[in-house]
Amino acid sequence: MNISNYDWGLIWENHGVLLNGLLVALQVSVIALVISIFGGLLLAVMRLSKPPISWIAVAYINVFRGVPALVSVIWVYFGVALLLGVNFTVFQAGVIALSLLYSAFMAEIFRSALGAIPPGHREAGQALGMRGTRIFFSVVLPQAIKIALPNLGSMFIGMVKDTSTFTVIGLLEVVRVTQNLVSQSFQPFVLYTAAAAIYVLAAFVIDIVFRLIEGAYASPPRGAISRVLRSRKRQRIQQLMAEVGP
Amino acid sequence: MSGLNTGEPVSDEVSAANQAAPVIQLRGLRKSFGDLEVLRGIDLDVVTGQHVVIFGPSGSGKSTMLRSLNMLEQPTAGSLKVDGVEYGPGLPDEPGVRRGKVLDLRRTVGMVFQQFNLFPHLTALDNVALPLRSVRGLKGAAAQLKAAEALRRVGLLQRAAHYPQQLSGGQQQRVAIARALAMDPKVMLFDEPTSALDPELVGEVLKTMREVAETGMTMVVVTHELGFAKEIGDLNVFMEDGLVVESGPRGFFENCVSPRAREFILAVR
Repeated sequence: MNISNYDWGLIWENHGVLLNGLLVALQVSVIALVISIFGGLLLAVMRLSKPPISWIAVAYINVFRGVPALVSVIWVYFGVALLLGVNFTVFQAGVIALSLLYSAFMAEIFRSALGAIPPGHREAGQALGMRGTRIFFSVVLPQAIKIALPNLGSMFIGMVKDTSTFTVIGLLEVVRVTQNLVSQSFQPFVLYTAAAAIYVLAAFVIDIVFRLIEGAYASPPRGAISRVLRSRKRQRIQQLMAEVGP
Repeated sequence: MSGLNTGEPVSDEVSAANQAAPVIQLRGLRKSFGDLEVLRGIDLDVVTGQHVVIFGPSGSGKSTMLRSLNMLEQPTAGSLKVDGVEYGPGLPDEPGVRRGKVLDLRRTVGMVFQQFNLFPHLTALDNVALPLRSVRGLKGAAAQLKAAEALRRVGLLQRAAHYPQQLSGGQQQRVAIARALAMDPKVMLFDEPTSALDPELVGEVLKTMREVAETGMTMVVVTHELGFAKEIGDLNVFMEDGLVVESGPRGFFENCVSPRAREFILAVR
């Protein structure tokens, strides 16, 4: 077969279907990202707690970091139905499987981020009479999130790619959609190249989005949106300066 | 007039007015880290408005002593009374004493650290406003106004919108002083506040501290700046090996008698 036999026009003809697959993959990943950020934070705090609680977190993290996405989704979709009689939709099963896995990864990211906050900041909060929970939410956590952000971006790209394994339960994400098109056109090389390009493009856009978020979280914040927000803050401070006097 | 009168409040004019009620009273305060006893029985009285200077070689326990005044270090034995309320383990012959909560102690006593410890994700203004909101319960606008006033006191209102990393070390430390002052503490603790600064930035921090001292604020200062100590110290305490070796009023640096204190003062100078 010569390269000219490949029908590259197929990609454009089916771009709507392919991008729909990406949309499904992104929907599953975004919901799972939100869940696993909270799950990961909770696990990280448990991991840093005293023994009986920390053991639970250690066990969870070590099990779920090791399970492949493919196995996890089969287990959630078929296994839970068999064992408990609960039938998830393929979309729900995908979200649950990803959340279970990535909570474990997020836990490790947040653990190291929480550990990176200088103890002096906590002490300063204590010396000011702040309560422990208040110190955690106002002093430690915002800084930890800032440290964790670049890793969260990489995690999210990994999540989008892992949705490709959910083709096994029939979720209409990029790979499943591609398989369907291949079975109609017998052009696997063209269509899988398109699928790969879609993933690369998605990763690129996600990277840009996370860089913008990182900029907004930087001290001082960078980027257009934060510049607008900051100018309002500046105005407030100008006003205060006028009120307080020289 | 001085001597080995460990821990007695000897500042003539100040203590005369407040002899009865020291704000801070330490009796036999001890602190161990494992087998190592860092404080081996400290007695100290600080009266309202007094400026106490604590100095001594590294490892003498002076920072640990200061940090136990707001329970960042928990004393293993002895009495720590602030405003007549017991916060330490207490003394065996004083069972009926009123005991206080650590949180209340820390809301009475302000502290400035060697490493400034500003919150890097907040502006100078928000660094001062955060504890006003979360501890004093002020609303957003009121907290900001009070924070702005505190920043003006240390001459940094113009830097209110700056983040700590945009400020010099000296400016950061002055914001930290403003943050502690804004809480209206009865006592301010300073833990080697100029030791982490470039030499040319030490002056502005000492100037701010001098201004705080002039307002009549009760201060306990651990410092190696003996020139400054000489200037503000109403009560000067020389510590070594977890004990107060000698303490005395103004003129201590010329009049002290213990050989170790004299040796140390000469060596630092």
